[in-house]
Amino acid sequence: MGIFMILFTLLGGITLSAQSSINGTLSRKAGTLETTLLTFLTGTLFLAIFIVFFSEGNLLAILEVPKWQLSAAFLGTLYLLLTVIAVPKIGVIATSILGIIGQLVIGLFIDHFGWFNSLVIPLDLKRSFALLFMMIALYFVYKGNKRSSEASPAKSHN
Amino acid sequence: MRYFAYILALLAGAALSFEGAIYGELGKSIGQLETSFYNFFMGSIIIGLLWLFFGKGKISYVVEAPKWTLLGGVLGVVYLTSIVISVPFVGVGITMVAVIIGQLVMSMVIEHYGWLGSKNSRINKEKMFAVLSMIIALVLVN
Repeated sequence: MGIFMILFTLLGGITLSAQSSINGTLSRKAGTLETTLLTFLTGTLFLAIFIVFFSEGNLLAILEVPKWQLSAAFLGTLYLLLTVIAVPKIGVIATSILGIIGQLVIGLFIDHFGWFNSLVIPLDLKRSFALLFMMIALYFVYKGNKRSSEASPAKSHN
Repeated sequence: MRYFAYILALLAGAALSFEGAIYGELGKSIGQLETSFYNFFMGSIIIGLLWLFFGKGKISYVVEAPKWTLLGGVLGVVYLTSIVISVPFVGVGITMVAVIIGQLVMSMVIEHYGWLGSKNSRINKEKMFAVLSMIIALVLVN
């Protein structure tokens, strides 16, 4: 069961990079805000169907939860919007790696300080080395991108 | 402008981390699926308003666009659902590592072949090293 779940989750990651490229392509013709809006609208429609059939929680409890928990919607929107802007400029892989680095660095801080009621996991030596490797990845992705665009200057202006 | 795009992508990831931590709490009170729905529903309203005032593109293009370019929203839902289902079985750590590895490897393949309309840019040594460093970092975090 565990292995099957891991494969299933790999598929989740695959869909995320496919989403970045597809949205990047659509945004060139339809525009950034328009592409983001379409992604949210179709996502809402699909989830509405899911909710109708599989809902086990309580959607109406949304009116009673602390308001700060609802503020995350702005962050989700920001993520999608920024991704749609970045992909046509720097490519799928650079956007993915930079996005993951941003996510991990902030994740390490949230863990370290235990923000938002999360489990406190201190920033130890191992995790500091992880930060170092992310910086190395950042360097290589920048260099790799620069080399690709030098190798095919005509294509890089698409 | 290029540097600017790099910073935007970093910020996108940072936003995702805050979002994850906050939605974790919300999920406990209203349910995971409901949280995803709330995210997409609110997102539609926020972007809908921004689009009304600042939209410069051409929304009507969606009716002429090739249908596969409209699949972004569905794919986002597949991603969210796979995470929600997997976390209780294998834990957050392994789930995130699997998602990220899937994402990185697929990004390389997509870009190498120029699939899904992305600009075709060959895999090179630097990009392989970048992905490798990310995998090491991921193992160290967990």
